[in-house]
Amino acid sequence: MTAVVQAKGLSKRYGNTVALDNVNLDIEPGRIVGLVGPNGAGKTTALKAILGLAEFDGQLSVLGLDPRTHRTELMEQVCFIADVAVLPRWLRVGDAVDFVGGVHPRFSREKCEKLLARTKIKPTQRVRELSKGMIVQLHLALVMAIDAKLLILDEPTLGLDILYRKEFYNNLLGDYFDEQKTILVTTHQIEEIEHILTDLLFIKEGKIVLDATMDDVGERFAEVMVNPDKADAARALKPLYERQIFGKSIFLFDGIDKARLAELGELHKPSVADLFVATMKGTYS
Amino acid sequence: MSITWNDNAPIYRQLRDRVVAMILDGVLKPGDALPSVRQVAADFQLNPITVSKGYQELVDEQLVEKRRGLGMYVTDGARGTLMKSEREHFLREEWPALFARIQRMNLDLATLIKKAENTGEKS
Repeated sequence: MTAVVQAKGLSKRYGNTVALDNVNLDIEPGRIVGLVGPNGAGKTTALKAILGLAEFDGQLSVLGLDPRTHRTELMEQVCFIADVAVLPRWLRVGDAVDFVGGVHPRFSREKCEKLLARTKIKPTQRVRELSKGMIVQLHLALVMAIDAKLLILDEPTLGLDILYRKEFYNNLLGDYFDEQKTILVTTHQIEEIEHILTDLLFIKEGKIVLDATMDDVGERFAEVMVNPDKADAARALKPLYERQIFGKSIFLFDGIDKARLAELGELHKPSVADLFVATMKGTYS
Repeated sequence: MSITWNDNAPIYRQLRDRVVAMILDGVLKPGDALPSVRQVAADFQLNPITVSKGYQELVDEQLVEKRRGLGMYVTDGARGTLMKSEREHFLREEWPALFARIQRMNLDLATLIKKAENTGEKS
């Protein structure tokens, strides 16, 4: 199958700041990919490049098209929810549905109305009368009613309470996603979506520092709780990260044989949040 | 509904174990449909590939069968197959240790049965 997103040597500078530094990407169809990184790591810049919203250097192909020159065609197949809710505040819900129905050839009004009927949003309400959570619900209903191949979500659940966050992903998995679609999502609430993801991308200072399937992540990484007498032996195996807890040391290893690690102490599978902390250490200092 | 997965086994395996427990407890009976992959993915906030993998394990063990276009159904023999393997597992893995303990404590069969019957009446 052809890649949905393929980047080679993707770079972007803002003046002297390097936002993206020679990024290579290969996203296959049917995947749910998490792009995770600290603030300012280049996540939004990468998404903007993919959407054709920003100039860039290097090669980038999205659904086989160059976002710089084929943006209109691309927009028929790509949907986007930004971290800043961008619906005009004076717009009525019904008008928003009419508008998207009018401009987007792949939009299903029926599907959108069905999704909205599950919420408390009324067609006559204006965006400014909706809560933050309801605006995201409206946004999602508009986007999920479009039969697009690639859905890009930039911090879609930012500022929402846990009920809205859960419902958001519930809708996405229950009514939207299938193996012909691809989702690329950025979030800081990584522990909430780690089981949803099929692939994980870590970005740090404009560089991709981890690109692995979730299965690989489970295979590669291990956390070991080590008693003080074996701590030096553990350090000799070059852990990614070390922290202390209750008089024991916890080490995080990448690609070390699990049987060998089991001799040092109790083995655990690290959460994505643990991996994130280990990978990003020193970012702000 | 919030489910916590432990980090000792892959999630698809834990999902498989959950369905197995439901079959053993009779919550899922032969011919019952499993919820769709999509439904489970949404309910448990899992990616659909994980769910499919868990279901595939059950198909491989002939505990559920795929009916084209309809979904997954518990097979007629599922409970029997599971009971058999559970019994074998108990006799092989758990019974020797339990038996050794009973012998150490000098408990005779009559006492054990009487106790079990009493408990049975109470519950």
